[in-house]
Amino acid sequence: MRRSLMLWIVLSLATAAFLFPQAANAQKKPILVGFPMFLTGGGALFGQPAKVGAEMAVKEINEKGGVLGRPIELLIRDCKGTPDEATRVARELIAKENVQFLVGGLTAAQGLALSEVAKTEKILYIAPISKTTAMTEAGKLHPYVFRAAANTNTEGRSAAVFLAKNPWKKVYTIGPDYEYGQMVTKAFVEWIKKNKPEVEIVGQGWPKLGEADYTPFITAALAKTPEAAFLSLWGGDFVNFAKQARPYGFFEKVKVVAAGEGGSPETAISLKDDLPLGITTNAYDLFYYPDTPEHKAYVERLKAYTKQEYPPSWAITGYIAMQFLAEAIKKANSTDTMKVVKALEGSIINTPIGKQTMRAKDHQANRGQFWGTTAKVPEYPFPILRPVEYIPADNLMD
Amino acid sequence: MTLPDPSFLLIQSLSGLTYAMFLFLIASGLSLIFGILRVLNFAHGSFYMVGAYLTYQFVSYFINSPAHFWWAVLFASVSTALIGGFIERLFLSRLYIREELNQLLFTYALVLILGDFAKIIWGTGQLSIPRPAILKGAVKILGQYFPEYNIFIIFLGLGIAFFFWIILKRTRWGRIIRAAALDREMLGALGINVRWLFTIVFTIGAWLAGLGGALVAPIAAIVPGMDVEIIINVFIVVVIGGLGSFWGTLLGALVLGQVISFGILVLPRLAIVFIYVLMTVVLIIRPWGLLGKPSQR
Amino acid sequence: MIIILLLAVLPLSESRFYIFLGTDILIMGLFAISLNLLLGYTGLVSFGQAAYFGIGAYTCALLMKKASVAFPFAFVAAAVAGALGALIIGFFCIRLTKIYFSMLTLAFSQIVWAIVFKWNSLTGGDTGLIGINFPEHLDSSTRFYYFTLGVVVASLFIIRKMVDSPFGRILTTIRENPERTEFIGVDVKLFQLLAFMISGAFAGISGALFGIFNHSLFPDLLYWPMSAEVLIMAILGGMYSFFGPLVGAAVILYLRMLVTSYTQYWPLIMGTILALLLFFFPGGIMGFLRSQRPFNRGDR
Repeated sequence: MRRSLMLWIVLSLATAAFLFPQAANAQKKPILVGFPMFLTGGGALFGQPAKVGAEMAVKEINEKGGVLGRPIELLIRDCKGTPDEATRVARELIAKENVQFLVGGLTAAQGLALSEVAKTEKILYIAPISKTTAMTEAGKLHPYVFRAAANTNTEGRSAAVFLAKNPWKKVYTIGPDYEYGQMVTKAFVEWIKKNKPEVEIVGQGWPKLGEADYTPFITAALAKTPEAAFLSLWGGDFVNFAKQARPYGFFEKVKVVAAGEGGSPETAISLKDDLPLGITTNAYDLFYYPDTPEHKAYVERLKAYTKQEYPPSWAITGYIAMQFLAEAIKKANSTDTMKVVKALEGSIINTPIGKQTMRAKDHQANRGQFWGTTAKVPEYPFPILRPVEYIPADNLMD
Repeated sequence: MTLPDPSFLLIQSLSGLTYAMFLFLIASGLSLIFGILRVLNFAHGSFYMVGAYLTYQFVSYFINSPAHFWWAVLFASVSTALIGGFIERLFLSRLYIREELNQLLFTYALVLILGDFAKIIWGTGQLSIPRPAILKGAVKILGQYFPEYNIFIIFLGLGIAFFFWIILKRTRWGRIIRAAALDREMLGALGINVRWLFTIVFTIGAWLAGLGGALVAPIAAIVPGMDVEIIINVFIVVVIGGLGSFWGTLLGALVLGQVISFGILVLPRLAIVFIYVLMTVVLIIRPWGLLGKPSQR
Repeated sequence: MIIILLLAVLPLSESRFYIFLGTDILIMGLFAISLNLLLGYTGLVSFGQAAYFGIGAYTCALLMKKASVAFPFAFVAAAVAGALGALIIGFFCIRLTKIYFSMLTLAFSQIVWAIVFKWNSLTGGDTGLIGINFPEHLDSSTRFYYFTLGVVVASLFIIRKMVDSPFGRILTTIRENPERTEFIGVDVKLFQLLAFMISGAFAGISGALFGIFNHSLFPDLLYWPMSAEVLIMAILGGMYSFFGPLVGAAVILYLRMLVTSYTQYWPLIMGTILALLLFFFPGGIMGFLRSQRPFNRGDR
């Protein structure tokens, strides 16, 4: 019985499997780009707009005739918050859907995981968001991985530069206990130690990523009476922390410099009155700054595409990543992976926030960010960054 | 390391106490359900999550009335209770004649299903609601600030504990429930409709979890995954305190709350290992928990 | 035998994707069957099998990466580590029964997870262990697939021999009524522990295969939903059947692959399937199929 039964099962499964059309080996017209992204959970606050930005870029490119006469097709998958899922989804995109390029991943761990997949599968991967320097450092860097985002060195050091402008001597750090939080805090601490050694790091808090209850960390930090704090909580975590820290008067007692894009309109809209004022934080993009014609035009298109009056700042990460990819394919005049890799190295593109260069030596873009202080303004129903400036990355990357 | 400041210790332990109260609310429901129905409800964290999401929803419905938060809490927790009762009556009860594993797995299936329903209805991002206006501020305790809302939670939690204790000890319903925990068949023989008792108990358990979720909504993120996150800690609480023991649950919650609160100071990166070690040690040395009864193995 | 032929022929379909899926199914199938040794045969509901899977996976990968141990040794070490872990954990767990047993397996599994998660310097923490390469002679997906097929077939053969032997008979007797079995003079605890160790060893083997297959390992595979998933596979396929868990693994992995290309709500589907299973098909797929074939006398 067992034998014929098993045969029956396997045959029916196999038949069903083969009935589903396999991806044809023939040259498909569209250029397939796999896009795994953190779409559900605490990171969705940033992952969803990143996806939207990529989609808009692809739409604009296709409307102009595509790349090399072919449209780009974005295959989007939710890889949630784990590198595990990112790996699984990426391999499926490569093996089943035959994507030729990969763009995506949000967390540092996802960036590393996708980089690994890119290496073994020999597929070009552009990370639009993952910041950890581990992806591009010597030993881990390989030809197929590129980063369009800023990296933890840039971010941590920019924050340190800001902090050092002030007379504060006692600093506390709070960061999520995983690759990103560890690396950006390390960059911050090292810069401070080197350039302003009289500043004392009085303590460090390490809540886990996605922590629900920050109160013990808040009270532990306050107990050390720091003058300033460097935070690297982002997305939903920052929102949570801000809400919970408010009644303790945290932001009045402690001057905060926060990495993790607390200045993004998404965060501000999410927190509204709970967004602490007077903190220094950053964002990848701001719909109200800079005032250049390209940027304004981009913001208008984004408004129309997302149908939001205050369009999200994270869209630019997906947008710029797709720009880099499309330009590289054009320059290489081919979709052959190695040719595109070569074309991407050293490429300079015009993004809505200015020129960006993809450095050949370490496959990173010289991506800076906008840093400013949160303030309430009459023009908008939520706080924005004012004053604000763009801090270029060139002197802060290694 | 300098001697910690007493006001800091107090504040830290109050933080732990607040979290403990949430754990207690949810864990008491779980413990109740286990004690009477002998089902370990994996989906209890899901009820907590549903309570939080529904609170968000009701707050936006009632936004114009002054006490909108409290109405929302009421409606959300009661709705969660009804959902729980409905699930028990229509689905879970059919599995009672089977092995325990089936009931357990069904509650896990609920976790998956309810989790995705929440995503479908409310999306995948993070939601939040503000604190109720009258509890927005903070009080000064020994020179440090502590949020009013948290103080409220602590008192409410203790109040509910007291309230339940009175019911269990002094009322007929309480006696029935305690009897059911000891001997279900006998109860049936005494003419009590055990089927309805089960449904009612499950409903009350769901209400407690939903209430916990409703009350946590203003201070934590309402996000997919909050169900899975809380259930593990709730398990630890009932293990430490003793499955099925009322006071044990309170004790377990208090213990875990303080362990987490101080754990992050003493063993910052290892706190998470420590709580599981605690759970393991209790199970090995005293599996019925600190206040459970050995016969309930 | 026919299945093996079919499986052997699979790589000829030239589809990288089916080779991937096939390898995945084989690995998870072995894992599920190893769990079933405890669940279906001995009646021990363990919520913590992911621990041995993870121990095996990390042992093999770490030995290969950090200590440059040759693959065959690392592979065997994975099985040994899995068995050892099961021995230690099982020793404590079998002293409890029913729900307390399950909770303790869960607690231990979470400790293992937490250690792997936090021990950054050794395991890479949540960034994971990446860059696990194919061993020397198995450096392509196809070759690795055949290797996996071979290992899994051999393992199943061994396990099958065990369950058909008096040892296996004692296990099912213990499942049915532990007190009675004790009464007739069998050292129940010893046999339960043995079952635990064997289960742990094979879970470790499947873990080692998994690590190499994915070229990377993340602590997530030790987190309790993994234990739950393999439990569901075993029950879906039929925990009272030998091949049941393998069938369950195949169905779950295949469905997940299909469903996730259309929607993100795979947990909803899986939860619904599980619920339907519990209500209508308590014997799992194999149980259902068996009940449809009343005239199975004389068949194996």
